[in-house]
Amino acid sequence: MKILIEAFSAPGCAKCAQSRAALKAVVEALGAERFDWRDLDVLQEIDRAVALGVVSPPSLAIDGELVFPALPTPERLRDELMRRLADGAA
Amino acid sequence: MLTIGAVANKTQVTTDSLRYYEREGLIRPAAKSAGGYRLYTEEAIRRVAFIKQAQQCGFSLAEIRELLELRATDAACCDDIYRVAVEKKLQLERKIRALGAMSQALTRLIEMCSRDRSSLDECPILGALEAGLAVNGPAAAQPRRARGKSA
Repeated sequence: MKILIEAFSAPGCAKCAQSRAALKAVVEALGAERFDWRDLDVLQEIDRAVALGVVSPPSLAIDGELVFPALPTPERLRDELMRRLADGAA
Repeated sequence: MLTIGAVANKTQVTTDSLRYYEREGLIRPAAKSAGGYRLYTEEAIRRVAFIKQAQQCGFSLAEIRELLELRATDAACCDDIYRVAVEKKLQLERKIRALGAMSQALTRLIEMCSRDRSSLDECPILGALEAGLAVNGPAAAQPRRARGKSA
């Protein structure tokens, strides 16, 4: 089963887009087919954002859990995803 | 220059509130008269109008101070203000949902009550609240006395 990654950001946020690109590169490196990456506009998806507890975008949720209230470094995301992939494989 | 009374009149804000805004760092008099009275410029009128409008959008005084500081910061840009507004919207939406959940809990409590004017010992609303079951539905509808006996 694919790992769902929901990236919440405010529309037009240049900084968010830049950070997201670096994080997406991590996902690509680990195998894009293993993940379901969704870019979400926090205002368009406000119900989902509130349900997950997003306070201050950009934020990242993994499998329905707000794991990173603020965007992580690529290294932290890689560690988290590798841990989850290992758990899934076990 | 305007006295505090004149500013209060023009902005429809009480002088007590204006002094409170001053203590909170939101406005400050431009000068003091020889008698020690606060004197303001027209900028104070604009700031108070800003404060009132921001309060209507749900911003706290601390948040309004942040907005005013951003407004006065050369390095700040519209993204900074936008971020504050988006965060406030998320906060308000959370509150709306929390209030909705509270309202639904009250609806369930109200539906439990038969209003048959029996004693408060039989009151299912008080019983549910005491048992901490207000959000769990009809299972909480036991009268207080019945629960007390079974305990």
